[in-house]
Formats: sequence, C-alpha cells, structure tokens
Amino acid sequence: MRPLAPLLPLAYAAVAALVVSAARGSQLEGPTTYAGISTTAFAVDLAAGLALLVAASAAIRVPTTAAAGRLAVAAGVVWFAQDWEGWSGGPTLVRALGAAAVPLLIVSPALLVANAVRSQWLRMAVGTGTAAIIFTAIVRALVRDPLLDPYCWRDCVSRSLVVHAEPSLVRALDRVWLGTTAALGIVGLFGGCEAVIRGRAAFRRLRAPILVPAALACGATAGYAVALLRRPLEQPRSAEYSALFFTRASAFAAVGAGLLLVVTRGQRQRAAVSRLTEQLGEVPNALAHAFGDPSVQVAYWLSASGRFVDDEGRNIDVPAPTTERAVTPIIRSGKPVAVVMHDASLTGSLDRELGSAARLAIENEQLRAEVRAQIDSLRRSRMRITERGDAERRRLERDLHDGAQQRLLALSFDLRLARTAAENDGDERLVKTLSTAIGEAQTALEELRELAHGIYPAVLTEAGLATALTTLADTAPLPVELTVTHERFDAPVEAALYVVVREATDDAVLRGATWTSVSVAGRVTLKVEDDGVQRSRPLIHVADRIGALGGATEFGPRSLRAEVPCA
Amino acid sequence: MRVIVADDVMLTREGIVRLLREAAIDVVAQAGDANELLRYVGLTHPDAAIIDIRMPPTHTDEGLVAAHQIRSEYPSVSVLVLSQYVEPSYALRLLEEHPERVGYLLKERVYDVASLVDALRRVTDGETVVDPTIVSRLVGRSRRDDPLSPLTAREREVLELIAEGLSNNAIAKRLYVTERTVEAHSKQIFQKLGLQTSPDSHRRVLAVLTYLRAPAVAKPNDVR
Repeated sequence: MRPLAPLLPLAYAAVAALVVSAARGSQLEGPTTYAGISTTAFAVDLAAGLALLVAASAAIRVPTTAAAGRLAVAAGVVWFAQDWEGWSGGPTLVRALGAAAVPLLIVSPALLVANAVRSQWLRMAVGTGTAAIIFTAIVRALVRDPLLDPYCWRDCVSRSLVVHAEPSLVRALDRVWLGTTAALGIVGLFGGCEAVIRGRAAFRRLRAPILVPAALACGATAGYAVALLRRPLEQPRSAEYSALFFTRASAFAAVGAGLLLVVTRGQRQRAAVSRLTEQLGEVPNALAHAFGDPSVQVAYWLSASGRFVDDEGRNIDVPAPTTERAVTPIIRSGKPVAVVMHDASLTGSLDRELGSAARLAIENEQLRAEVRAQIDSLRRSRMRITERGDAERRRLERDLHDGAQQRLLALSFDLRLARTAAENDGDERLVKTLSTAIGEAQTALEELRELAHGIYPAVLTEAGLATALTTLADTAPLPVELTVTHERFDAPVEAALYVVVREATDDAVLRGATWTSVSVAGRVTLKVEDDGVQRSRPLIHVADRIGALGGATEFGPRSLRAEVPCA
Repeated sequence: MRVIVADDVMLTREGIVRLLREAAIDVVAQAGDANELLRYVGLTHPDAAIIDIRMPPTHTDEGLVAAHQIRSEYPSVSVLVLSQYVEPSYALRLLEEHPERVGYLLKERVYDVASLVDALRRVTDGETVVDPTIVSRLVGRSRRDDPLSPLTAREREVLELIAEGLSNNAIAKRLYVTERTVEAHSKQIFQKLGLQTSPDSHRRVLAVLTYLRAPAVAKPNDVR
C-alpha cells in the first residue's frame, strides 16, 4: 500500500483528464462543465486539478508534507468532481458521486490553512464548518433529485443517489452549504493572510508557498458561494461565473504549485543537511543555510562535565524553549549529543530532516567541542596557577618589607644607640664589636632588599612594565637596550613579560653575551636578542609563562619572540 | 627645626623620633598614614616632613603621593621620603614636579643620625637630596656605548655628587677643592654630555638624573 500511495493521485489524474475531455466533447445542448465553455477554460480546468494531484503525489512521499499532500489529493478529486457531474453521457454512478462531492470544494483549502496556522480557534472553526458541510453534502445527495432541482445545469437529466426526493429540503440544505462555505472561505482567507503577514521570517519562508494560495482558494470559493446564494441559477458563460471560475481555478492551481515548491525545497534541504558530513565544523552554518533560519545555534552536550558548550568549547546557556525559540535535542545511539536552538516555526521538521549522516556530523562536532572545552579549561587552570604564584610572591615580598626588614632596621638602630653609649663610656673594644655588628646588619638589609626585589618587583604593579624593566636593566650585569611601550597591560601579562625578560637576560649572561636588546610593542609583542653563543634548547619556563596566557613563543639561536593575546 | 614623622610601622617611627629628639630636633607630630600626615601638616606647618613611602592602604607609593600634595599645598614645608626600594623611578617621580626642598633617602640611611640630620638640613635649606646608592646604581649601569666614557674619573665623581643634589659649595667641601674648580668641572661635564647648564641647582639634579636614566627607555610614543 505505502509504495503505491503516491501513484494513486497520478492514476486518478490520468482518468480525470480523460473524463474532462470526454465531458467537454459531449456537451451538445449548452455547456454542462466549465471546461466546455472555451479552450482556455478547458486548459485552466485541467491545469488546476492536475497541479493539485501531481504535487500531491510528490508530497505524499515525504513525511513532512504528507498531510498537505493528502489534502491536495482531496482538493484535486473534488475539483474534478465538477467535471464528472457534468459528463453528459457518462456513467450515472460517476455523475451522481461527482454531484455529491461538489459541495466539499471549500474543505481542502480551509483545512490547509488551518493546519499551517497554529491557532486554536481557527482550527475549531474550520473543523466545525467541515463537519457541517460533509453532513449537509451527504443528506443533500440522498434527498436531491436533479430532475426536480430548478437550478440544475450540470446533471439535469441524470439519475442520482436520491432515496427520497425533497426539493424544498434541498433548497434549505443548499443555503446551509453555501452559507457555511462562504463563512469558512472568509475565515480561511483572513486567517491565512494574517498568519503570513504577522508571522516571523522563518515562518513565512516555510509556510507561505502553501498558505497564500490556500487562503486565496478559500476566498475564491467563498466568492463562488456568495454568487450562488445571490443568483442560484449558475450560468457558466456569464461574466460573473466565468470570472469566478478562472479565479478559483488559478487559486487551486497555485495551491498545487506551492506544494510542489515546498516539496522540492525540502529535497534541497535534506541534501544540504546530509552534506553536513563534509562540512565538519560548520554544522550551525549549514543548518542555518538549509533551513533558511540564520538564528540557528548548536550547543553540544558534554556528559562528563554536565554542561553545554559551543563549537569553540566555550560554555553556553541553553535557554528554556519559548513560543518563538524552540530547542530540539539531537539524539544519537540513544544518547543526547547536542541541542539545536532555532525558530519555533521549524519545530518538527528539523528533527525529522536530520538523517543519520547529519547526526554523525553533529556527534563528531560534539567530540571536537569536548576536546576544545578541555583545552580551554586546562588553559584557564594553568593561568590560575601562575596568577596564584605571582600573588604569592607579591605577598612574600610585602611580608619581607613589612616584617623582617623593619626588624632589621630596628636592630641596626639599637646597635647604633649601643655604640653611642659605648663611645661615651670609652669602651673601645665594644665600639669595635658594635661597629662590625652594624655593618653586618647593613649587609643583611641590602641582601634582604635584593631578595625581596627578586621575588617580586613592587614597582611592576605600581609603575608598570617599562619602569620595572628599566630598573632591571639598571642592575643587569650586561647592557640591556630597552625599547618598551609605556602602555599598561593586565597584571598577569606584565608579570609574565617581566619574568621572561629576566630569564632571557640571565640566559644571555650564561651564553657569554656582551649585550642584549629588549623590545616590547603594544598589544603585545616581546623580542629579545643578544650576541651570545647559540642557544642549545628553548627556555622552558619562558614558554610556560607565555603559554599560560594563551600566547606563543618562538626561539631563535640568539633571540626569542613572544606574543601574548591581550584583552 | 620642627618636623613631622609619618610611618605606619610604630617601631620604625618611634626609632626615628627618638633619634631626632637626641639631635635636638623638635618633632611636632607623628602620623600613621597619609591622611593623618596631611592633617598635621595643615595644623602645625612644620619645617619638614619625613615620610615613609609605603603606607596604608596599598603599601606602595602612598608616601610619594602625600609628598607631592604637601609640596603643592604648603610650599614652605620640605619633604624627605624614606624608601626601602633602590628605585630610581620613584626618586625621579618625586623630583619631577617639585625638584626643590625634596629628598629621597633609603630607609637604612635614617639610622645614621648624621646623614639624616644632614639631609634634613639640606632640604630645609631649599636643596635636593638623592640617596647615593641610587645615584651610583644609575652611574654604574652597564651600557653598550657608555655616554659617560668621555668623563675623567674626577668628573664622574663630581657628576655623582651633582646627582645627589649637592651644591657646588658642598661638592667643593666634600672633595677638598675650591668652588671655582667644581664650577669648571661641572661646565666640562655638561658640555661633554650635551646638557644645558642651569644655574638652578635642583633643576641641574633633575637634568642629570633624567639623563642617566633616559637612554635605556624608549619614549612613550615610540611604539613599533
């Protein structure tokens, strides 16, 4: 049954086309179908029905458009029912069934509109109207005898399904049918147009090709019903009725064309989505492109750390779905790998459109994101460790100044007082001893100061890298030429660059250099050169310090170059 | 002489006060932080303030900032900044705006009462005092093309004393020569280094210090 289903509309279309031709040819005493009034009308009549049925046969194959396809089949069948009814000389049963089906014209376009627009009241209105029309059509078929119908034109001499002729009831039923059709048609027209006008871009792109023609078909059918209410005797050649026919036929043909457009676009989308495997790293772009929704975002799930990250491995918040933004989980092998955040109008289609290839691509991307997230977290932890180390050194430096140094100062002060006292007492030996002690204390103070400065130069925080490097150059055992920007950088960057220059200078001394030159340029590139013997291996500590900031270091035989990304 | 002492470490502060009192210097107030110091300076208008460079809250350069403020608001009050850092940039910062009546001394120098009193006397006389350790570090720095190489040993000695803030008269006494000899040396030095001679001795200090410090650092806008 399933593989044959798409062929049925085509088979029906072929039969219907033959019937339309036959019905047209048999009209000897005035037209009994619109196809009979002119060649143009014949072609338009045929085109409308065929467009619906051909599009339907394609749409039924695809899950996302199957529902619309089935409605298009119904629309095509009912459209051609008008010709079947008017087939003079055709089988009586066929003509009778055709006559019975004609009142259902409004049903398919109204349901197409109601299905596309997610509005509760519209659906209820269309559902109620449809039920009323189907009920009316059945009763009408059972009580209508065309011979007794004063307004008949298609089937006046035909037998019908009539069980018990009730001409006055038929008139009443006609009014119900036509009134309901007019009401449904107007609801469909305005409901559809409003949804298209007020919908968001993605919704419009997705639904408009069906929604707009379906709304127009509703409007045209409503117009037809109003005309029949006002002038029950339908005259196909009259200006009013033939114009209404062409309008209706064009609108129904457009529904078919719109459906066909949606189906072929869906095929292109699927093709694009399945190409995802070849576009690793571009999953969000590819999805955005395939679905025509530039706001598509993909968040990958890291089950190990229980969080979502983007394709760069950065943390990302997945918001709760709203009426405008939907969140579709992507499941592979029963496990969630990602969620796609997208325009709510795509809901449903996205999950179905993603084939296994696309899911594989997304899973691959998730693995990449996981690795990136790990690298990112390692880099952060490395940075925290160095920053912690710097803070610790800074604290140590302060403690030395505020603690040990103050005590030594106090000691040296007391020693001086004691020496003055000894001098006054004339105790030469004691004066001598105390003088030695004062000298020792002085040396200890100097050493302590150098130690504290070596641990962390206070001037670095207070006055910046340029000043700190100048002081470093003041005390360096070899000439250090500085070209340093006075720009200030973040404390971790300044600390790292200071340490790197110190290490590089010490290294230059070890390699017997007679000078070294240092340049620090804005945002932020460091170069150090010297004239020592060639370096045999890179300075690991330097590479580590720069690496902790996410920077890169290059070592030449007598030079090094470091770049730090500066926030 | 009336003096205020500002240092947040009580041990040190009281040590200094005791020394000054023994040297018959009148300590009119003691302050534990920069705000206190500024208040007492406003109240007592002393001849000089001895200020520790590290004071609360950040313990970095609060003393330096207070010194600047005192020099701009009370021009008659001299300041002597005590520092544990051999850091020429701090000394230069102190001198840049108000080169007269200021001094930058290393903290351990304080306990040599003669040096302390000498420095106090010099700043209150309107001179400038720069700690010899800082000057010798600047003069002794390794240079690729040493601009000081044309100087004779004697001229170098004079240059250092100029950088320490000594007047020609004081240099002459220190080196046991006449003031005219010192003037001749000084003229030679300035000529050899390509510096403008200034009759103003504290401008002279600043010029020499900036010269000694400068060649190693690029100008602020020299960014490649």
